[in-house]
Amino acid sequence: MRDRDLDRRGRVREAAMHEGFLRHRNFRWLKIATALSLAAIAGYGFADVTPRPNGGSWYGYTLGTVAVLLILWLTLLGVRKRWMTRGRWSLKAWTSAHVYLGLSLIVTATLHTGFQLGWNVHTLAWALMMLVILSGIWGIVAYAALPKALSSNREELTQTQMLEGLRAIDRQLHEAAQPLAPSQAALVQKSLEQNVFAGGLFRRLSGRHRGCATAKALRGIRREGGQEKVQSLLERKSGMLARLRRHLQLKAMLEVWLYVHVPATFALIAALTAHIVSVFFFW
Amino acid sequence: MADRVRIAIVGSGPAGLSAAARAAQLGLSHVLLEKTDHLSDTIYKYQKGKHVMATPSALVLRSDLDFDAGKREIVLGTWDDQTAKHKVNVRHKSEIKAIEGEAGAFVLTLTDGAKIEAETVVLAIGTQGNPNLVRCPGASLPHVQYQLDDPGEYVDEHITVIGSGDAGIENALGLAADSAQGNTVTILNRSGDFARAKGANVKLLNEAAERGRITIRLETTPAEIRPGEMVLETRDGQETIRCDRVIARMGSAAPRAFIESCGIEFSSPDREAFPKLSPTFESTKPGIFVIGALAGYPLIKHCMNQGHDVIEFINGNKGLKPADEPLLEAKFAKFRARRSVDEWLELLRSNVSILNELSPLQMREFMLDSEVRAYKPDEVIFERNDPGSSLFAIAQGNVLVEVDKDNPRITVPIAQGSVFGEVGLISGRRRGATIRAGENAVIVEVSRTAALKLMASVPAAKRALTRISIERQLLQMFGSGLTAADLAEVIDASEVLTVPAGKHIITEGEDGQDIFVIRVGSMIIEKQVGGKPVFLNYLPAGSYVGEIALVNGGKRTATVKAAIKSEVIRLPGEAFLRLLKAKPRLLDKLRADVADRQNINSFIESRKDSFSGVVDMYSATAGFLIENGIGEATDVLLIDENLCVGCDNCEKACADSHEGLSRLDREAGRTYAHLHVPTSCRHCEHPHCMADCPPNAIHRGPDGEVFIDEKCIGCGNCQRNCPYGVIRMDSVPPKKPPIFAWLLLGLGPGPGEPNKAWKYKDKKDGVEKPKKAIKCDMCAGIKGGPACVRACPTGAAIRVAPEKFLGVARLERETD
Amino acid sequence: MAFLIRSVTQTADGREIVRDTRMEKDVLGIGRAAENEISLPDLSVDPRHARIEMRDGRRVAVIANGTLGFEVDGRSTRNTVIDSAKGAELGFGGHRITVAHDGDDVTLTIKRVDAVSDAEEDRDEAAAFSLEGKLPGRRLTAWALVAAVLIGFLAIPVWTFMQGPEKTIYERQAQHSWSSGPLSAAHHSLENNCESCHTQAFVSVRDEACASCHKDVHNHAPPDRIAGARAKPTAWKSLLQTVARTFGKPGPGACVDCHTEHEGAGRMAETKQAFCTDCHATLRQRLADTKLPDAGDFGTAHPQFRPTYGQTRVAMATQIPSGLKFPHDLHLNTSGGVARMAQTLRGRYPFGEALDCKDCHKPSADGVRFRPVEMESSCGMCHSLAYDNVGGTVRTLRHGDVAQAIADLRASTHRASRPPALDGGRRRPGQYAQRQVYSAYFGPAAQRGSDYAVRALFSQSGACAECHTLTPAGGSWTVAPVVQPGRYLMHGWFDHRAHQTETCASCHKAGASGSAADLLLPGIETCRTCHGGEASKAEVPSGCAMCHSYHADDGAPWVPSRPVGRIREDAASNRGRERR
Repeated sequence: MRDRDLDRRGRVREAAMHEGFLRHRNFRWLKIATALSLAAIAGYGFADVTPRPNGGSWYGYTLGTVAVLLILWLTLLGVRKRWMTRGRWSLKAWTSAHVYLGLSLIVTATLHTGFQLGWNVHTLAWALMMLVILSGIWGIVAYAALPKALSSNREELTQTQMLEGLRAIDRQLHEAAQPLAPSQAALVQKSLEQNVFAGGLFRRLSGRHRGCATAKALRGIRREGGQEKVQSLLERKSGMLARLRRHLQLKAMLEVWLYVHVPATFALIAALTAHIVSVFFFW
Repeated sequence: MADRVRIAIVGSGPAGLSAAARAAQLGLSHVLLEKTDHLSDTIYKYQKGKHVMATPSALVLRSDLDFDAGKREIVLGTWDDQTAKHKVNVRHKSEIKAIEGEAGAFVLTLTDGAKIEAETVVLAIGTQGNPNLVRCPGASLPHVQYQLDDPGEYVDEHITVIGSGDAGIENALGLAADSAQGNTVTILNRSGDFARAKGANVKLLNEAAERGRITIRLETTPAEIRPGEMVLETRDGQETIRCDRVIARMGSAAPRAFIESCGIEFSSPDREAFPKLSPTFESTKPGIFVIGALAGYPLIKHCMNQGHDVIEFINGNKGLKPADEPLLEAKFAKFRARRSVDEWLELLRSNVSILNELSPLQMREFMLDSEVRAYKPDEVIFERNDPGSSLFAIAQGNVLVEVDKDNPRITVPIAQGSVFGEVGLISGRRRGATIRAGENAVIVEVSRTAALKLMASVPAAKRALTRISIERQLLQMFGSGLTAADLAEVIDASEVLTVPAGKHIITEGEDGQDIFVIRVGSMIIEKQVGGKPVFLNYLPAGSYVGEIALVNGGKRTATVKAAIKSEVIRLPGEAFLRLLKAKPRLLDKLRADVADRQNINSFIESRKDSFSGVVDMYSATAGFLIENGIGEATDVLLIDENLCVGCDNCEKACADSHEGLSRLDREAGRTYAHLHVPTSCRHCEHPHCMADCPPNAIHRGPDGEVFIDEKCIGCGNCQRNCPYGVIRMDSVPPKKPPIFAWLLLGLGPGPGEPNKAWKYKDKKDGVEKPKKAIKCDMCAGIKGGPACVRACPTGAAIRVAPEKFLGVARLERETD
Repeated sequence: MAFLIRSVTQTADGREIVRDTRMEKDVLGIGRAAENEISLPDLSVDPRHARIEMRDGRRVAVIANGTLGFEVDGRSTRNTVIDSAKGAELGFGGHRITVAHDGDDVTLTIKRVDAVSDAEEDRDEAAAFSLEGKLPGRRLTAWALVAAVLIGFLAIPVWTFMQGPEKTIYERQAQHSWSSGPLSAAHHSLENNCESCHTQAFVSVRDEACASCHKDVHNHAPPDRIAGARAKPTAWKSLLQTVARTFGKPGPGACVDCHTEHEGAGRMAETKQAFCTDCHATLRQRLADTKLPDAGDFGTAHPQFRPTYGQTRVAMATQIPSGLKFPHDLHLNTSGGVARMAQTLRGRYPFGEALDCKDCHKPSADGVRFRPVEMESSCGMCHSLAYDNVGGTVRTLRHGDVAQAIADLRASTHRASRPPALDGGRRRPGQYAQRQVYSAYFGPAAQRGSDYAVRALFSQSGACAECHTLTPAGGSWTVAPVVQPGRYLMHGWFDHRAHQTETCASCHKAGASGSAADLLLPGIETCRTCHGGEASKAEVPSGCAMCHSYHADDGAPWVPSRPVGRIREDAASNRGRERR
């Protein structure tokens, strides 16, 4: 398969194939990250540090420096992603590097500790880093697994169209329900008043919606053998709701890890600052 | 009574008004005839508050009326005041029926029967023409109208819309849009479908019909209109429906017929043709002058200048130079030879064969859209694979074509007076060969629009170009030392066919050995494998098919059909065979190509058994892409929804690299097998958007991108013409705070297009931001290329040329 | 006098469409059902909800038909009378009906105020479809965490440091979050007192800090000599040193170089042999004038011991003037007379079949070395100095005081019945029963007169000369001094207790020594049978620090103190303990 080449004006021409960030350029960054980790491990084995390997040895300082530089660079992905500068960069390449180098931190930084962990700011930094990485792994899994589902679920519908559809059916429902008896009308009214976006994080993620007004209305009206039209409308509506909720659920899954990943990253950077300052403060 | 004036000005558009104002200033007796009860009806009909542009900015305004970019109301207001101030003699509600008589004594008959005598007539009626009228009893009733200004003003009415064009559909939708208005809308269509309308509109219409908002009546015509009701002529007899209002949008008859009836000749029978005019805008009928859009100048400034000028001319001021003089002077300024503009125009006109028949006036206009340059010997004019759709004409000297891409020394000369670059013009594809100046040469580069206008107005030029283009295309395609002379016979026997999308030009298993050269559009090759058609290959314009049967004899081995409406050149087999006999090298070349094609065929065959699933998917995918207009695309954004996490970073990136407006809608658009074609420009070979752009603001850029420049007047034609709905009209949002302010403190709306709320909140009040057409420009001039692709974190988004994407390599990868 | 029903609807773009209908009726029905004059398409309204009755030109009554009420100016009721001139607003579900008077009509303006459905509410889609609002915002959380961490783990510790040494327990705790690991047992008490070592911010721990407690630590050598002695570091080492220096780490030779801290509770790490051999392996190359031979590793590169005797260093296996006549071989012989004697005296002394080292050599209190052998307690067990018997009491000559001995002897001889037979030469102890001895021994001499007895005592064949070397001096004699050094190896440390597992003979070849002049110290090769270099495979790998002390003094070399209450003990700690 031909890789990206530059056309005469030196503009980047991506290959005529889709290539995910994980297998970007034939796993280039995976290779680099692995090499880095192995190097770190080998060094840990060979470096003669006295009395025992730890962050305070020359090798420790080296690993620490490498790790902290990596962390800062990895954090920059957030900027790169949003800062649309000109120039021949590809966010995909960045993501790829971000993922693999980020994983390699597990090795580098852990060796930096020399496995001396305790209840102190230094271990706090390490723990936060691990938290960030773990959430990141979740992200990778989500990114690898969910898009297909997202795409199949929405079936070419855009979010706007989903809402529009809902509005349309609500209007029809409203009209169709006019002749209903007060009891049934109330049921329909409830369904009309229900807010699709209501509910907390758990409901979003679980996609479980007990006591969904529309479902209730449908059951109620079926039981009382209400109008055909209203029933079918309610059925269609609950169908739409199901799709919309699935969409919300998938989007939430694709998004929620960032709410750990990002803040933890900044906590990590703060902890790193404290860690480094403390080391030099009590040099 | 018949009052007599020196000048009768017909039409009170910018041109007419300006002319009338001038006449008034000069104290000439005049009358300004306006069909409606208000001035400049066309602009009057713009939607309320629409921003009217004043382009080209370079052109100086020469008129007694002021005009500057601004709100419709303001523009019209100024004109009304100033016409009053200048004591212009306006005659409203005066629609002209006929112009008789000769110069000095014309008689203008109005629809209301009045007659007006005039020495000279200035026609400034524009191109709107008159709407086609309903021809049935009661058509003259007051509730029959031919336009709809504000759909919102009609409530609780039964409204019947007649007409199946976009205008009719849009009116019907507008009337039914809001259920609160409680209108009952019916739309009548004489034919069985809405073929003339845009797909998007038809879709909306059908949706509305499903929701019971609109009643669609096909194969139905109005039989009679009565107050409160109308009788319909349907397939199964007559039918009467309630009807409080009839809106007839059945297109408009171009004013051409009327103008010809006045004895004015047009430059050609072609639809885009304009009246023949002298440098003083005088038509072939002495005493009748034609200005404005009707004369081929759609822009307000042009019109107003002409209004001014024409009166000056009539008033005997011959020395007056047209307002565009400085523009033209600028074009010629760089030459050492000190010639006046007119001398230059004359030189070019006489030297370049296809320009010979142009009038001086046409020459002027032609040159406004063209560039003239001098080249030193061996200086490169354009290189192979350069994008570009402009035409080049050799005014002096000659040029050399590098026919062999590997060896630049092998060249074929093109002589003075001839043209080149026509392949780009006709197929919209990249340049086929590098062209250098032979000796010191003066070259005219003709923009695509100018060239098309030329071909429309000068039939000879059209014929010449077609022939040359065919010849060149073949030469360039087959190469192998052929000369024009060798091809003469084949070309004489050849014919150009227009192929509607989906039509076969070659059908598998049939006899025939003709060769087909794709001139415009693109073709797909299919083969019946296991009873199913399998997509073999995609042929862009500039390639040829049919050689297998020709070289190997026997039946056609595969089916070739048009991916989109295309033009092909049919070269009869016999003639071509004779050519092959004469030129063994050509035969070898063909053999080679045949070998390649057969390899692909056999490859597919072999794969078919082992990976039938994949092959089907492959063909299906290809089919899907073709039907989504990839067939005419040169560069398309494709999203792999196995990778797309829906972060919309592509849209944000797009907005942030283009003054805060996104040119693509990731979510919208068709998807097949997780391959998503978002709503974003495909940069068609023959952009539909270019078709009708008054300020000619849409161009194909150096990297093949189709872009809209700052000349845009926001008329929205391109938006209406784009079948893929990728052009939007919007105003530039206010500047956002720097990104870091958002990252750290959350200032501003964050990356991407700001939401309406913020736009509204943050926009400085008082400043009226014009709405302009925006579309993807492939991030031309932005280092690194398309932002959407660069900014995709997962690699879901790529931009590809269809032939690359549909290449069989895809299948190879997927099956290996 | 009629009702004017004015229904106001809104278009999507906010325009209002007003539809008027005039009703020449006295009663209007309000409800969802279509047959009502005022039919409100509103599901929260009953099909026949209420009716409006015209009372007179102005006043109208609104009465609910069912159980469901309605609102009048916000108050909910089931019937009311309204003066249309004053006006009022009725609320039915999502609709509002404004009652007013105009001309002689009562106008009822009907408006829907609530959207038909929730979906109608326009919301910012981007936000609605994202998790916005479901979770605390990322930016906010990030800032909060950053602030928390920086305050808790940076600001507070620094602040407490600024407070100076005396701190509350809390301040110490706060600061403790900076400790990279527990201190060793030795420094455990300093655990919460960072300033005791880290005296200055951004300055690494200096020797002074250690010296403030460890006052009596001797210098290994004058600093300039140490500097001179240090091996030239490899390129890599010197690079590391330069970096360290630029970061303000104390140069090589600082306390912290050997004594690293925060490595975890328990014993400090042992000092590595390298710390010594860096210099000592090739010391001579750099310190030409040094007296020390090079020593790189005990097992392979260590000079032979050079014991100190008196003031001088002597070679191994030389004769030393001990001033004593003591054949070890004779005494240790298991078959000779000595052995016999031991057997006969077994009752009175803890003898075995023959004499053994321990019978005479007693370990010092700390067990590291041995006390000098004492004549009275050790030799005297056999070699008696009895010279008289008065009524059963045996009188014995004072050992170590010549004059006293002479005096005693003279004093005893003047009243002897017969002179003691000292001419008959010495009699070996145990030849006779004790009683006979002294009579047989001193009897004749006494008879011969005192001078004779004294001369006999100090004669070459006399009792003293048996072990000592005598020289006559005028009327008296001098006895050559007897030297028994407690320690031969002044710069190395040898601990006998650590070697209890061994027999004396395994190192000291006394059984073969016929003269007290033999130096019976074992050579290095003997040690090497068990001991090897730090890294060696030997039974007991021994770093320099096992025998040598960096901080040169004549005590035992420094070894890491034992952890408080630690059970697990590795080989090192065993060695350490045994040595004590």
